[in-house]
Amino acid sequence: MNTIRSAFRNPPFLTLLLVALVWIVASFTLRGFGAYGHLRYLLELAAVIGIAAAGQTLVILMGGIDLSVGAVITVTAILLPLFSPAWDPTGLVGIAVALAIATGIGLMNGAGAAYLRVPPIIMTLAMATFLQGLLVIVAGGSAVTVSNPAVILLGQARPLGIPAGIILWLVVSIAILLLVHRMPIGARFLALGANPLAARLSGVSVTRNTLMVHTLSGFFAGLAGILVLGMNRQGYVGIGDPYLLTSIAAVVLGGTSILGGRGTYAGTIPGAILLVTTTALITVVNASPGWRSIMFGTLILALLLVSGREARR
Amino acid sequence: MSASSPMRLYGSIQLRRNRGLAGLYLVVAAFLILYAMLFPGILSIGGFSKFTQNWFPLALVTMAQALLMLNGGITLAIGPLVSLGAVIAATTMEGALGVPGGILAVALAGLSIGAVIGAIVTHLRLPAIIVTLAGSFIIGGVALILLPRPGGFIPDWLSTTLAGHTPVAFVLLVVILALWKAFLATPLGLGIYAAGDNPVGAFRSGVPVERVKVVAFALSGLLAALTGLFVAAQTGSGDPVIGTPFTLNSIAAAVLGGVGFLGGKGTMRGAICGSLLLSVMINVMFFLGFPPVAQYVAQGLIIVGAVAVPELLAQWKARR
Repeated sequence: MNTIRSAFRNPPFLTLLLVALVWIVASFTLRGFGAYGHLRYLLELAAVIGIAAAGQTLVILMGGIDLSVGAVITVTAILLPLFSPAWDPTGLVGIAVALAIATGIGLMNGAGAAYLRVPPIIMTLAMATFLQGLLVIVAGGSAVTVSNPAVILLGQARPLGIPAGIILWLVVSIAILLLVHRMPIGARFLALGANPLAARLSGVSVTRNTLMVHTLSGFFAGLAGILVLGMNRQGYVGIGDPYLLTSIAAVVLGGTSILGGRGTYAGTIPGAILLVTTTALITVVNASPGWRSIMFGTLILALLLVSGREARR
Repeated sequence: MSASSPMRLYGSIQLRRNRGLAGLYLVVAAFLILYAMLFPGILSIGGFSKFTQNWFPLALVTMAQALLMLNGGITLAIGPLVSLGAVIAATTMEGALGVPGGILAVALAGLSIGAVIGAIVTHLRLPAIIVTLAGSFIIGGVALILLPRPGGFIPDWLSTTLAGHTPVAFVLLVVILALWKAFLATPLGLGIYAAGDNPVGAFRSGVPVERVKVVAFALSGLLAALTGLFVAAQTGSGDPVIGTPFTLNSIAAAVLGGVGFLGGKGTMRGAICGSLLLSVMINVMFFLGFPPVAQYVAQGLIIVGAVAVPELLAQWKARR
C-alpha cells in the first residue's frame, strides 16, 4: 500500500502514467493515432526536445535557466553545413566543429554567469539576442541545405526499425541519469540548486559547476540541433525557436522544481513525449492557429497542476 | 524631534536609493546629450513628442515587468498582453460604446487577466515563469481569434491626441509615475516591496502576501494592456502579434535599471531610466544607420555589460 502511495507521489511516474493514458485513449478514439509508425514518429519528434531538455534539466536542477537553447540549436543547424568540408566523406569533421561551437557558446554562458555574476536568465537571454543578430549577418535570410552524410544518416537511418534519433536519445538519457544520480558531480549540481550557500560552505565550487552545467547545456543543444538538421535536411533562421519553451516545459512537466535542487531527468523524458503528443492531438482537431495556441497553453497549465506543483512553503 | 524630521528621513532614504543609480543616471544623460547633438530636432516640441512617443510603450511595459520583479515574480506574458490590448482597442472602438467603451474594455481585460494569472500563481502555488509562459500561448491565441490579421479601427482624433505633435504621452507617463508613487504610500503598495524582499517576514508582520501578489499581477496586466491601446493608437490599427518584442525588452530594461530578480531590490525610477536607456540606444543605432541585426548584437552586449560592469567594479573594490 505504501509503495503504491509513494508511486503516486512520484512526479516522473505520474507524467509517464499521463502519457500512457493519453496514448491509450487517443488510440481508441482517433484513427491512425495508435499505429506503430505514428507512435514511432512522435517519439522521434520527442527525441529532439528530450535531448535539448537534457542540458536544460541540468541547468534548472542547479537553480538556473537556459534561454539560449533555441538560439544554439539554430546556430548549429545553420553553421554545420557551412563548416562541413568537401574533402571529408564521413562528415564527422563538420559535426565535431558544430558541437565545438555549441559547447563554446555554453562555456561563454557559464563564464558570464560564474565570473561576471550575471544571473543565468539574463546571460542566456543576452546570448540568444546576440546570436540572433550574428546569425542573420552570417546566413542572411536564406535556408541552407545539408549534404553532410553523417547528419543525414542520423536524421534518416533506422537500424532494426528504430530511428537513429531515438537511439541517440536513449544514449543521452542513460548518460544524464548516471551523471545526476550515480556520480558525485550530479550530487554537487543538486546541492547547489537546493542551497547554494550551504553547498559552497561544504566546499562545492560554484564557479566550476556553473561552468560545467552551462557547457553541457550548450553541448546537448548542439546535439539536438544536429538531429533537427538531419530530420529537416535544411537549416534556417528560427529553426530552433520552438525548442526553447518546449525544453523548459518538458523539464517542469517532469516534476523538476524550477527553483532548482529537486527533480530528475527521468521526469523530463515523459515530459517531452507528453508535449509532442499534446501538439499532435491539437493538430488532429484541425482548429485555427488561435484556438490551437489557446489549447496548447491550457493543456500545459492543466498538466502543470498534475505534476508541476511547488511544495508548500 | 522637530516637525521636519519625517521629511528629512524621507529625503535621506530617497538620496540613498538614488546613490546606487548614479552610474545609470550618468550613462542615460550621456546618451541623451549624444542624441541631442546628433539630432537637434529633439529639442523642439514636435521632436520631443515623437521621441517620448517612441519611448512610452517600452516605459509602460517595463513598469509592468518591474512591478512583478520587485514582488519577486516575473511574467513572460507581457508581449501577448500588449497585442491583446491593441486588438481589443481596435475591435471595440467602432462599437456602440465608442472610445470610452474601448478604453474600459482594454483596462478591464488587462486587470482581469492579470488577476487570474496572479490567482493561479498564488493559490495553486505554481511557478510564475511557467504559468505566464502557458498564459502567453492562451492570450496570444485569443488575440489571433479576435483579429486574425492586422486591421480594426482607431478613430483619427485619438491617434492624433495620443501620438500627434503634442507631448501627451510624456504627460501620461508623469501621471502614471505619480500614481505609482501614491500607490507606494498605501499599505498595499508597500507590501509589494515587503513581500518581494522577505515573504515570510512580511506575512508575519501582517502583510497579506497573497493578496499583494494578485494585485501586483493585476496592475501589471493593466499596464501591459494599456500599452497595447497606445501602440494601436500609434499605428492606427490593431495587430495580433505587435507586442512580441516587448516581453524580452521589458525584462532587459528592468534589469538595466537595477531591478533584481529576487524581489524587493530596485526602484521604479531605475526601471524607467533603464527603459529610457534601451530606447535611446535603439534610436541612436537606428539613426546612425546600423542594420537592425547589428542592433541585436549590440543589445546583447549592452545587457551583459550593464549587469557585469557594476559587479566587476564591486569585486575589484572588495579585493583592494
